[in-house]
Amino acid sequence: MILVGELALWVALLMGAWAATTSFAGGALGREDLVASGKRGLYATTAMMVLASIGLWTALLTHDFSLKYVASNTSANMPKVYIFSAFWGGQAGSMLFWALILAVYSAIAIRFVPPKSRDLVPWACGTLAMILLFFIATVCFKANPYDRLSFVPADGRGMNPQLQNPGMAIHPPNLYLGYVATSIPFAFAIAALVTRRLDAEWLGIVRRWSLLSWFFLTIGITLGMWWAYVELGWSGYWAWDPVENASLLPWLTGTAFLHSIMIQEKRGMLRKWNVVLVVTTFLLAIFGTFITRSGIIESVHSFAQSPVGTWFATFFLAATGTTIYFVATRLRDLEAKATLESMVSREAAFLYNNVVLVGIAFSVLWGTLFPILSEWVRGSKITVGPPFFNTVNVPLGLLLLGLTGVGPLIAWRKASTSNLKRQFAVPAAAGLLVGVVLFALGMRDGYALIAYTLAGFVAATIVQEFQKGISARRNIHGESFPVATVRLIGRNRRRYGGYIVHAGIVVLFAAFAGLAFKKDHDVQMKAGETKELVDPLGHRWKFVSQGVSTSETLNRFVTAIGLEVWRDGKPQGILTTEKRQYFDSNKQPLFEPSTEVGIRTSAKGDLYVVLAGVRDETAELRISFNPLVVWVWIGGMIMAVGGLIVMWPQAERRRAPSGYVATLEPRREMAATT
Amino acid sequence: MQRREFLTRSFALGGAALFGARALQAQQGTPADTTGNLFDMNQGAARTVTRPPKPGARPSMDQDTRDALEHKIRCQCGCTLDVYTCRTTDFSCQVSPAMHRDVMALVEGGYSAQEILDAFVDTYGERALMAPKKEGFNWAGYLVPFGALAAGAAAVLVVLRGMQRGGAPAEVPMDGVVVPPLGTPDEMAKLNDAIRKDD
Repeated sequence: MILVGELALWVALLMGAWAATTSFAGGALGREDLVASGKRGLYATTAMMVLASIGLWTALLTHDFSLKYVASNTSANMPKVYIFSAFWGGQAGSMLFWALILAVYSAIAIRFVPPKSRDLVPWACGTLAMILLFFIATVCFKANPYDRLSFVPADGRGMNPQLQNPGMAIHPPNLYLGYVATSIPFAFAIAALVTRRLDAEWLGIVRRWSLLSWFFLTIGITLGMWWAYVELGWSGYWAWDPVENASLLPWLTGTAFLHSIMIQEKRGMLRKWNVVLVVTTFLLAIFGTFITRSGIIESVHSFAQSPVGTWFATFFLAATGTTIYFVATRLRDLEAKATLESMVSREAAFLYNNVVLVGIAFSVLWGTLFPILSEWVRGSKITVGPPFFNTVNVPLGLLLLGLTGVGPLIAWRKASTSNLKRQFAVPAAAGLLVGVVLFALGMRDGYALIAYTLAGFVAATIVQEFQKGISARRNIHGESFPVATVRLIGRNRRRYGGYIVHAGIVVLFAAFAGLAFKKDHDVQMKAGETKELVDPLGHRWKFVSQGVSTSETLNRFVTAIGLEVWRDGKPQGILTTEKRQYFDSNKQPLFEPSTEVGIRTSAKGDLYVVLAGVRDETAELRISFNPLVVWVWIGGMIMAVGGLIVMWPQAERRRAPSGYVATLEPRREMAATT
Repeated sequence: MQRREFLTRSFALGGAALFGARALQAQQGTPADTTGNLFDMNQGAARTVTRPPKPGARPSMDQDTRDALEHKIRCQCGCTLDVYTCRTTDFSCQVSPAMHRDVMALVEGGYSAQEILDAFVDTYGERALMAPKKEGFNWAGYLVPFGALAAGAAAVLVVLRGMQRGGAPAEVPMDGVVVPPLGTPDEMAKLNDAIRKDD
């Protein structure tokens, strides 16, 4: 099966080339037979990629250490689940995984193109096959998981212990599912540009796949934050590492697109802007991959030392050049079909929101690349870390939070003064009330106060919108509150699913602002020793050391300390934190020791304990109080649920037509209904 | 060419490519392993940052202030964390404890936070700091994002005003809205006739 998989990879390379060539030729020459052959070539490439992937999984699960990839990323004593997830744990496997997802996505997207969009198929299929060909070629020539060692080791090196975490088993696939999904809108955008069919047809396909990409990126980013928090032990979830930034960039432009597409659907405006956002989202996914895998930027992820950077740079430049050419030569076809009636309208508000989202994306990209720019200009290396990103992005983030509340309150086309007063009165009052109460309670951090004031405002806008809709349903249909709520959401999933996403954003920002009150304590404790600390909310905590213990389990030596914990005099149980030294089947140490954090979570905040080291039987600990962290995960989940509601297909309902309907009968009778 | 023949040839070509690649690999040897998942720690990155104590020196700051200062200094082991976070997270790193000892010595020697930061920059260069100093070219780093946002907002306002001046909104079908097909001239004539009779 392993040999079959390896062979399938090379056949996929040929099939991909065939699919791209015949699809483009079919599109250019208008030959249906070539287009059909291109589609079949794409399906065959997908089948070959599935075989190639099964081959690698087989090699991993059967411990075929003659493959360098298997020996580098697994060992015989690793739990099965992590052997399975080792598929995407290393460079070559992750590239194959990327190509696999792209192949499957492409086959689905091309198979289910609506009949009215058939003209787009040759170009979309060709573009997807080209992207797929690039990834397969990268796998074959630069990062081949089937590369063999000149000898067969008895055991492998194993997986970095920090990757042996359930979050890490599912976080990368979600991110890849998100990244790769940006290829489909890109391909259809290119197809629409080539064929100049830039009206409604391509928008439907693009919107669905953009939503899918956004959904998986949201889950992937949230899971990545959770993994960093529970596994890395530095008491935070976002470090503005280039790899993290690379995942955020397409999410930001994708979010901007999902807002601006509504303006094109409803008003026929922003047609150029939407095409630019679609292609930019894809190009950022590629560019992010390039900067994190080329080694041009320092990152904790050692993908940075990989040899695929030049390939990605070339591909990125080619894709960017092609895109610029097509957009530039189709500008006239992308003229808006309507004009703006007022600067105070929902479409204008969405545009402001777009400017801020793209502005944040730019600032993240700028900060990520600034060390390179600085080195070019000044010749000296600098670090652009969290203090820089926070300085620049916190104000922009707050601006975005405010706009999250403003957009839904303003009417389409033109908002009257009375409309604005009516819509804004309660939310603005609610936001101000939150700010004043927090100030009165002693909160003095400026950014946190603004964040909670805005969060109160946006939360109130969401409640107000739901309350209006639910009240209307109860009045008209006499439904109970839960039924009215469910039906309100079910009947208008895009709108109310969107509000649920906004609710998730509010929760996230409230949790982010909580970090302003984070407290770290650096303590040393011998067995039986007691420490007392006060958390940011004034609770008194007592810790009693039960001493350091050592043990050996499945594939690791463990050094642990247990702490008896009391809060305000009430026992909270025992919290354990560990250092683990993983070893191979010959008991030889693998990798650096890793941290297992002791975490006690509550709605108010986390108690976060890290065993930093043991010297002379004294444990060196960092005890952190991290307010509101659990709400980051809850906020992410709410956003994902909202996204799922928005994505869920809605059956077309038969509605009685509104307005006058003329019936053309032989007897020339006029039927009118309202 | 028949489909079966096409597939057979594809597999034959794929097989040839596979064995060609294998032969090439055997000739060149296995490429260096670049598939590690996380960074490799540089344990030898620490350099000594010392200054003679100031006359009659007393500690220049308390522990909390010193910890805050260490949050501004980057550990040089390659982890991308600051000194405080690295030394309190990972006992295998020998770089951040060494840098911490230097910070403590400078604090004991009566040096201010800025003087300590300057001492680290003198030794390691500006990459010793978690964020670039707000001076010279670095201002571009801090200001360009806001400048770009302002320029973007201004451009949007200009475009919106231009669109507003463009006159009344055109009555054209919007993207995404399914517009029913227009009636034939004959049907439209019948409709006009019906409407006239209704009036």
